[in-house]
Amino acid sequence: MLTVVVRRLVRLLVVLAGVSLVTFAILHVSGDPVSLMMSEAPEADRAVLRQAMGFNDPLPLQFARFLRNTARGDFGQSFFYREPALPLVLARMPTTLLLTVLAMLLALGVALPVGIYGAVRRNSLLDHGATLVVFLGQSMPVFWTGIMLMLLFAVQWRLLPVSGWDSWASLVLPAFTLGTFSAPLLMRIVRSSMLEVINLDYVRTARAKGVTEWFVICRHALVNAALPLVTVAGLQFGLLLGGAVITETVFAVPGVGRLIVGAIRQLDFPIVQAGVFLLALIVVVVNFTVDMLYIYLNPQIRVR
Amino acid sequence: MTRWFLVPLVLALVAVGPLPADAQPKDTLTVALVSHAPTLDPHMHFERVGILVNINMFDSLLHKNARLEYEPSLATSWKALSDTQWEFKLRKGVKFHNGETMTPDDVKYSFERVLDQKKKSPQYGNVRAIKEIRIVDPETIHIITDKPFPLLLERLVFFPIVPRKHVEAVGDQAFGTTSPVGTGPWKFVEWKRDQLIRLEAFDQHWRGKPPFKHLIIRAIPEIATQVAEMKTGGVDLIRNVSADLIPELRNHPQTYISSAPILRVHYVELDMRYPPFDKKPVRQAANYAVDKQTIIQKLMGGLGQIVATTVQPKAFGFDPDVKPYPYDPKKAKELLAQAGYPNGVDITLHSAFVEFRPVFEAITQMLTEVGIRTNAKVWDPGPAWNKVLQGEGKATNGYYGSWGNYSVFDADAVLHPLYHTEPGSWIGKWYTRVEGLDGLIDEARSTVDQARRKRTYSRIQNLIREEAPAIFLWTQYDTLAISRKVEYAARGDEWLWLFDAKPKR
Repeated sequence: MLTVVVRRLVRLLVVLAGVSLVTFAILHVSGDPVSLMMSEAPEADRAVLRQAMGFNDPLPLQFARFLRNTARGDFGQSFFYREPALPLVLARMPTTLLLTVLAMLLALGVALPVGIYGAVRRNSLLDHGATLVVFLGQSMPVFWTGIMLMLLFAVQWRLLPVSGWDSWASLVLPAFTLGTFSAPLLMRIVRSSMLEVINLDYVRTARAKGVTEWFVICRHALVNAALPLVTVAGLQFGLLLGGAVITETVFAVPGVGRLIVGAIRQLDFPIVQAGVFLLALIVVVVNFTVDMLYIYLNPQIRVR
Repeated sequence: MTRWFLVPLVLALVAVGPLPADAQPKDTLTVALVSHAPTLDPHMHFERVGILVNINMFDSLLHKNARLEYEPSLATSWKALSDTQWEFKLRKGVKFHNGETMTPDDVKYSFERVLDQKKKSPQYGNVRAIKEIRIVDPETIHIITDKPFPLLLERLVFFPIVPRKHVEAVGDQAFGTTSPVGTGPWKFVEWKRDQLIRLEAFDQHWRGKPPFKHLIIRAIPEIATQVAEMKTGGVDLIRNVSADLIPELRNHPQTYISSAPILRVHYVELDMRYPPFDKKPVRQAANYAVDKQTIIQKLMGGLGQIVATTVQPKAFGFDPDVKPYPYDPKKAKELLAQAGYPNGVDITLHSAFVEFRPVFEAITQMLTEVGIRTNAKVWDPGPAWNKVLQGEGKATNGYYGSWGNYSVFDADAVLHPLYHTEPGSWIGKWYTRVEGLDGLIDEARSTVDQARRKRTYSRIQNLIREEAPAIFLWTQYDTLAISRKVEYAARGDEWLWLFDAKPKR
């Protein structure tokens, strides 16, 4: 058990280092931030700044310096804001996390009941309807879903605010938009794994004992069917964080995603690095938790 | 089981509180910008979105009215004492938002703040020519430049005056985030980054109180979202409405459109160092090949004004006697043949001007029709594009873009960056090779004698019209969508001078 945990933790660190390396590499081949910062300055002034910021050092040295500073939690000063990058990212993190968690809850809130129903009443009208919705949901890009929901609920029916982040009402559309992205896949997973277990012997035994159908499904079938769901939901969380980038832009939500998009445009290396690193950290931590949850839920692994 | 499905929906509907739409009080004006500047300190950024906010909180020495004429602001009068020395009389009894009275010392400090290289102000280059600010008496200052600086007055239209004591007490950081203080019509209330800046009318403003008590500047990156907010009354004013959205917002019951020609000129800069544009007839042929009128009518909603060169009608030095190239494809083909390309020639043009992509494609198609067979490449603005733009010139024959003069209404602000070949120029150093042009641009720069400058600019416009270092196109319009509850008109300098905005009825 302990070795499993340690092995997973090591893997977590390797992933983080890998993400840092990739971000660092992509940023450093993408252009010269000094030219963008001082577009009107004479070349001599730019050379001074480039030297001062260490851009003239060999890349491996720059990366080593970056890793060392990262380990200390120091991502440097944002070029654009002229403030330390990490607090700028951290200040926007609760917004992004709230949006992502709400979207996840919404997705699960839809996927679980509909998926279960689809498995229990296979080939019923609702099951087919749900399958149709799955295809629709999966084929719509997030930004399009967002704008359609906005046009319907905010412009046409005036039920919700168009954009912003100043009331609970303004959370609804972004969370739904993002949730729509995940719900279909989760629903399929619930349905198929429920189908797998629902005809197994122990379920039939439970029914034969005279246990209510409701209890059979929730206590016996669902717990076993939940394993793949937990894994996929963990992975989906990472995708949702990615989707939050677009959703935040469409709905003018002041989150990390929007900050990173702006920073990429301005070649603001410290913000991009801090932002990507933190998002990666969240994703690996969630997946680590999922792994642990999996072990807890599945005694077979624990024993092994 | 299906009841579960309804839970989030019901929750969502219950959670709907009072909505901002239609419920806005009449004394509030809400404006949407695509983003906020990194700071509210007017000296420490050079972002258009920041300037638009700053001008409503801070005054400068001079102002421009809606007809773009100079008006007194914190300076009541001004005159040049010599080529390098200017005198400004300061307005008496001007109050800062914190109640302090503005003094010449504040003015001097404001300039020194930007000129102090340690503070790394991005606006340093704008006023670099200023050598000294001299306080003559409590109502008079002299600005001394190290060489003749004809653009001084233009630069002073956005050069906000800040309170020395306050800035030094709170520090630069706090001044830019939590406690900006100016003399302008609105004072600071709060800033939620990436969400909104909230301002409130300043009772003691020297012009009097602005018509709107509250001013809110929201940051909404997506234009589709801005339009949706306009239609539901969530915001009262949006900028940069593109041609395809104009009909919809013009006829909407909630909104109207206001448009004004701005200081932004479109052109295709031609790389004169390499064939085929090293030959004058080919460059002229390209100018004859483009049907500017049709493009403006069909693709730009009629909003564009054809120009003879890149010097615009609103800029100082514009010569109306220089006429635009007419559309004449026959002549274009003749010139091409004359230059040694009777069967046409293949070129590649680039652009990162994403919002005008259809226009770019139309231009390249028209060039192709006369025999300048053009391969059009569209880029994302950003690092890769910068590399193309500054590339060795072998990959590119030219690019389609626009120039906004940094809002300076002077021919120099477009001629130097686009055509001068010295290293400090922007693009001319890579693309342009016109004999004698550098000397003429320098000559016009070296005096504040406006009559002489005007003559020189006439010569320059005749020269570049003939030499055609670019395909000269048109000036762009700035288009605002405005709520029918608000009376305001777009300005030629793209400023949102909201003191002029009034509630309707």
